[in-house]
Amino acid sequence: MIAIAAVALGLPACAAAQPYIGGTAPHAGSIEIGGGVIWTAGYDAGSRDATESPNTTTGGSPLTLFTSSSRVRPVTGVGAQAGVYLSSRVSVEGVFQYSKPSLVTTLGDDFENAAPLDAVGGLSSYLVGGSLLYHFGSGKVVPFVAGGASYLRQLDEANADVLTGNDVHAGGGVKVWFGSGESRVGLRIDAQVSSRSKSAGFEDKRRTLPVVGAGLVFLF
Amino acid sequence: MRRRYAGAAVAAALIVAVCSIGTEAYLKLGTRVGERLITLRFNTLPVRYFITNRDVPGVSAAQLRDAASRAFASWAAVPDVRLSSEFVGFTGASPLSGDNANVLGFTTRTDLDRVLGSTSFTVDTITGEIIESDIFFNSAFTWSAAQAGEVGRQDIESIALHEIGHLLGLGHSMLGETELIGTARRVIATEAVMFPIAFSAGALNRTLRADDQAGIADIYGTDAFRTATGSIAGRVTKNGTGVVGAHVVAFNPASGQLIAGFTLSPDGTFVIGGLSPGTYALRVEPLDDGDVSSFLDSSLHIDVDFKPAFHDRLVTVPRGGTSRNVELKVVAK
Repeated sequence: MIAIAAVALGLPACAAAQPYIGGTAPHAGSIEIGGGVIWTAGYDAGSRDATESPNTTTGGSPLTLFTSSSRVRPVTGVGAQAGVYLSSRVSVEGVFQYSKPSLVTTLGDDFENAAPLDAVGGLSSYLVGGSLLYHFGSGKVVPFVAGGASYLRQLDEANADVLTGNDVHAGGGVKVWFGSGESRVGLRIDAQVSSRSKSAGFEDKRRTLPVVGAGLVFLF
Repeated sequence: MRRRYAGAAVAAALIVAVCSIGTEAYLKLGTRVGERLITLRFNTLPVRYFITNRDVPGVSAAQLRDAASRAFASWAAVPDVRLSSEFVGFTGASPLSGDNANVLGFTTRTDLDRVLGSTSFTVDTITGEIIESDIFFNSAFTWSAAQAGEVGRQDIESIALHEIGHLLGLGHSMLGETELIGTARRVIATEAVMFPIAFSAGALNRTLRADDQAGIADIYGTDAFRTATGSIAGRVTKNGTGVVGAHVVAFNPASGQLIAGFTLSPDGTFVIGGLSPGTYALRVEPLDDGDVSSFLDSSLHIDVDFKPAFHDRLVTVPRGGTSRNVELKVVAK
């Protein structure tokens, strides 16, 4: 009886003492949450001149009262994700991103010599969606690829103009795990290409933007 | 109470506004009741009009009828506007006859050597209702009704479109650029039929622009217009003090549309209405492309001593609402 009890009590003790080599976690059902900063590239938001119709008896070209060229500046925002592993290599996650980019319109070449300037408008950008991730290996440094889709919502600073669209994204990155055990902390860096059906600007078209993120992840 | 107004001459001009109201974009004609300004408008539709049965070289009375009909139709075709007109018949009466009938026709006014046409009103100064409005086209000039226009002749439909804008209650727009030729101004370009100075003889200007459309919809717009569009309200200041007579232009970088308004009170406030929802850039300039009296009440102390300038913020116009508290700061020349 003593021997049996010693064996029975000893097994867990042996297992706990065994060093983690990444062979058991993550596994199906493991949860991973994280958050960090997200950098989204800027883009050309359209150019158009303010013109007036010409006096056709003296000239045939519209008069340019002034020119305008718009862009959305690159922006750093915050992001968070929560996922669950379907297997040791595949996980799905929900993602949320928030940023406050600026829409800038450069006004110039004024017919009456108004000084050129950048007119600025503030935006709020929300992105909510999901991704499917495939991990290459399960060691301390784990490359992965990801792809997914999101719902995009952008508002001006007065919340007067609301733009909604969708995003399809794909990319990859790496997770660097610190410590050991089923519950771990790690660093996640990823880079994606985000193709957005709508985005703030003066041309209604799909835009493809690079997006880079870095943050901490927690596995348990 | 009824009062009769008459247009006056300006350099190569069409008509002078009798009293300008700067609310909600554009300039509208109005009447003052105490401290209130009331927009002039026809309350009863269709607007019924007669054509003076007088031919002039290049344009017969029937051709004037046809041109006026097309011009009325252009105004009535503005989206979300409730407006209609009806040609009643030809008349021997001349315009400006004061007979409670709206009459359009040619009159020879050699004394008005720079006035192509003019619109006069009989209005109810309490309600702003237009009782009668007449348009005369000055037969001292040479005219054309040709579809493609004729070199050296004023296009009757272009001028009728402008004058009928007045007849319906609109004042002048300042969306245009001019150059001085001697003592007269020549239009280089314009983005409003309601610009006070006509294109050179032979040119056509038969298409209403965004500014014209916003103006007419401001007076005759349906509820759908008011819920589908928005406005920008703010001030123009110089050294912290309001600027009177500043011309504020809202530019939509998405559509390219230009719609403008004026500051007409000592505190420099303005409202530009009839704007499609979206983001706008703003530009302000002094009244420098025509006589001030072409646009505004001469009793106003118009400030033209400031440099044109852009606003450093983009302004977003909400659907059915107003973006307020915009301040455009200008500096003296």
